[in-house]
Amino acid sequence: MDREKDFMEEKDFALSQMEQETDEMLRIRYLNKDNAVFERTGTGFLSLRIGEEFYPRVQVVRMFPFMHVDELLSIRTPDERSKEIGIIEKLTDVTPETVEMLNEQLTLHYFTPVITRIHSIKDEYGYAYWNVDTDHGPCRFTMQMGGSAVVHLSDTRILIMDIDENRFEIPDIMALTNNERKKLDLFL
Amino acid sequence: MILKYDLSKENTELCGLAPEEEIYYCLPLDIDLKGNFRQNSYTVMTNRRVLILEEGELTKEYLIEQCDSIRSEPRIACGILYLEKDGKQILLGRFSAKHLTRYSYLFRGMQIFKQGRTDHVVSNEYERSCPKCGRALPGTKECPRCAGKKDGMVYTLLTLMKTHAGRLAVILFLMFLATVVTLANPLIQRYLIDDVLLREEKNYSEALWCLGLMFAMSVGIVFINAGKSFLCAKLGAHVGEDLREQLFTKIQQLSLSFIGDRSPGELMNRILHDTARIKDFFANMFCNMFTIVIMFVVVCVYMLVLNWKLAILAFVFAPLTVILSMAWRKNIQKRFRLQWLKSDKVNSNLQDVISGMAVVKSYGQEYREAEHFGETTDELARIQRSNEVFFAIFYPILSFLLGVGIYLITYFGGKNVILGSMTPGELLQFINYTSMLYNYVNWISGMPRSLMNLATSLERVGDVMKQEPTIVNHEDAVEHEIEGEITFKNASFGYKSYQPVIEDVNLTVHKGEMIGLVGASGTGKSTLINLVMHLYEVDDGQILVDGIDIRKIKLENYHSQIGVVLQENFLFAGTIYNNIRFAKPDATYEEIIQAAKMANAHDFICSLPDGYNTYVGEKGHNLSGGERQRIAIARAMLNNPRLLILDEATASLDTESEYLIQKAIGRLTEGRTTFAIAHRLSTLKDANRLVVIDGHKIAEVGTHEELLAKKGIYYGLVQAQLKVKL
Repeated sequence: MDREKDFMEEKDFALSQMEQETDEMLRIRYLNKDNAVFERTGTGFLSLRIGEEFYPRVQVVRMFPFMHVDELLSIRTPDERSKEIGIIEKLTDVTPETVEMLNEQLTLHYFTPVITRIHSIKDEYGYAYWNVDTDHGPCRFTMQMGGSAVVHLSDTRILIMDIDENRFEIPDIMALTNNERKKLDLFL
Repeated sequence: MILKYDLSKENTELCGLAPEEEIYYCLPLDIDLKGNFRQNSYTVMTNRRVLILEEGELTKEYLIEQCDSIRSEPRIACGILYLEKDGKQILLGRFSAKHLTRYSYLFRGMQIFKQGRTDHVVSNEYERSCPKCGRALPGTKECPRCAGKKDGMVYTLLTLMKTHAGRLAVILFLMFLATVVTLANPLIQRYLIDDVLLREEKNYSEALWCLGLMFAMSVGIVFINAGKSFLCAKLGAHVGEDLREQLFTKIQQLSLSFIGDRSPGELMNRILHDTARIKDFFANMFCNMFTIVIMFVVVCVYMLVLNWKLAILAFVFAPLTVILSMAWRKNIQKRFRLQWLKSDKVNSNLQDVISGMAVVKSYGQEYREAEHFGETTDELARIQRSNEVFFAIFYPILSFLLGVGIYLITYFGGKNVILGSMTPGELLQFINYTSMLYNYVNWISGMPRSLMNLATSLERVGDVMKQEPTIVNHEDAVEHEIEGEITFKNASFGYKSYQPVIEDVNLTVHKGEMIGLVGASGTGKSTLINLVMHLYEVDDGQILVDGIDIRKIKLENYHSQIGVVLQENFLFAGTIYNNIRFAKPDATYEEIIQAAKMANAHDFICSLPDGYNTYVGEKGHNLSGGERQRIAIARAMLNNPRLLILDEATASLDTESEYLIQKAIGRLTEGRTTFAIAHRLSTLKDANRLVVIDGHKIAEVGTHEELLAKKGIYYGLVQAQLKVKL
């Protein structure tokens, strides 16, 4: 108990610093073409300058990846304890060149091929073997049956997780042919 | 896990290897930066360079000596690889989630080269699909399909049955008997009709004889089959039991690293479900397998001999019945799976709402939830209705179609009888064999599936059995009475070899000293304790107990001298009495009461209606966190441990129980070497020295006052905690 008293008497708390951090966390800072300058690093990443602040590498993340692909982007530091630097509300807030750069980083961040055609789904001993065409090229993948491998984003939109945790999307099952839907039936 | 994929000749040439340069790691870059699939792109790391090969071209090349590190970063369902060089991050490529874990090993691979060493990094993790056949692996190292042929499933099965040879012999004899009797019955029927009933001079007694024999055989086959099934079920139960016991013993022997890599559910599955499947195989498949296969062959041959034209007609229909019933089975399975999925949805919806009723009510959402539930049940009802209708209409049709073969045989056979080329008895015998044939064909068509299921279960069980525990008693291990001096010497450790949790730790703890371990979560405090408890072994360096390497002390002997109190203490299902004496089953009542008193537990135990006989555990009496804690302390106290581990022993307790427990712990730690982890720093005020861990290393060591004076990490932690309290 005595010891605790000792600490209390230590007057030089870094209290103000802590409070400042909390405040910063609570603030919503919108980035736009007037306050933020994005630049390619030349080594595949993106840097950001906001006035005096400079971030040699930033990460671009969608806040609502399934609902708003081009809106509400969070610009973050890339480290483990990632912190938000700012938010881009709409892509029209920044220059077309910046849009291009942001899209590059988004493409790099998310990998969810869209299934455009189902050639076959073979079901064998608890696993389903898919042979499909995607917007990123033809692909075969394996899905575990009976688990939570198929996520329904809406009545007609599904996300499929393979055993390696790759994701595949079917944006509209009604857009598939009857034959393809029949193959899919077992998993819906 | 494969860390070196095979590289084609052209690609190897592209690398332009120097004389003493060797490819150590080769991993696919299976997607490009835009996410398009690629087949022929790789990251190659030799002992000197990092190379990126893209679609037949060498696109990037770096000397390892000029790089700081190579890192992979998980992204959403994919990952990227980059190099750290001259304070810059250089993007090298991208890969799908299939290779995410693989790529994280490269970091360590490069670190090893940079230290001037040449060892390979090996991954003990399993592949998720078979590199040979591409099928998913059921959580095992070997593919049941590809390895099954090599190891021989029959051999595995035989070893399982080795101890039951006698029973097996009886079963085989009964199988033989069943075959003979089943095949002979139609034979006697034919004799009865052709040679007794249709003969000119009627022989009444012979007919009776035949009938009697047929009756005896019918009764006999019932007994034979019953005996066979009984023995097979017994054999299956015994094999299953043996396996369960062996598996359980094995899993207990295996080091925590094996168990830590798997979920408790998966291990339980292997002990319960896989052994049950093997048991079921013996009970249901095994006893009929040989009989049916033999009978199938004999019946086929016999039919051909009897009347080959009719036989071929019958054979033509056999695959048809198989296809028909398989299609039927598939369709039914599909329909009922759908129904099952929907009913599962209704169940989970119901569970959701009932357990969250308070939230639903407090937000006034009852109506919306009711509507939602109505929709899902309607859907279920619709599917159930359609399935029942389907079954009712199509099942009779199916049975009819399956019988068509028999009608045709009867028609053509009957014609033969009228023309005189076949006797009525022969026709009857033939029809009997045909229906047998159709039954067997259907049964045999289901066999590959059952055998595959068996192979998978055998592989999953065998996979555990084949594991060698990584922590074992060394040959020269000794019994040692712990004095209490613990020394860490350049100790390094990581749960996964590419991810060090503790790096190069050096520390000497004196006999009887209490050490407080402090640091942010995830820095390796618990890991350090796991190493002291010898649940894991260091990758590099040494841990010495009284100057003896911890690996040289007998495991059981060592563990019997350690006391452990954790944050969430596990009480086994049983009485308080049994829980306290868990570590020392032969303790006297006096010892137990003494331990409970010292743990400040005796009084609350006596105030329970059932005293020391109070049943605790999952379904038992609800004890508070503090009470459970005190029982755990009594358990540790009873054992009179030489070494004490307290892992957040007083976290999440209210002030009063914390006080009681502090007192109890004070008594417990007296004169014993103690390692204590605590987030609430005030808990550690009795510690002789505090060790601050940060960034996988020991950052600060010293007494409370020394560390405060230093104004380092500990100082910051103390301040932060005080502020929260204010």
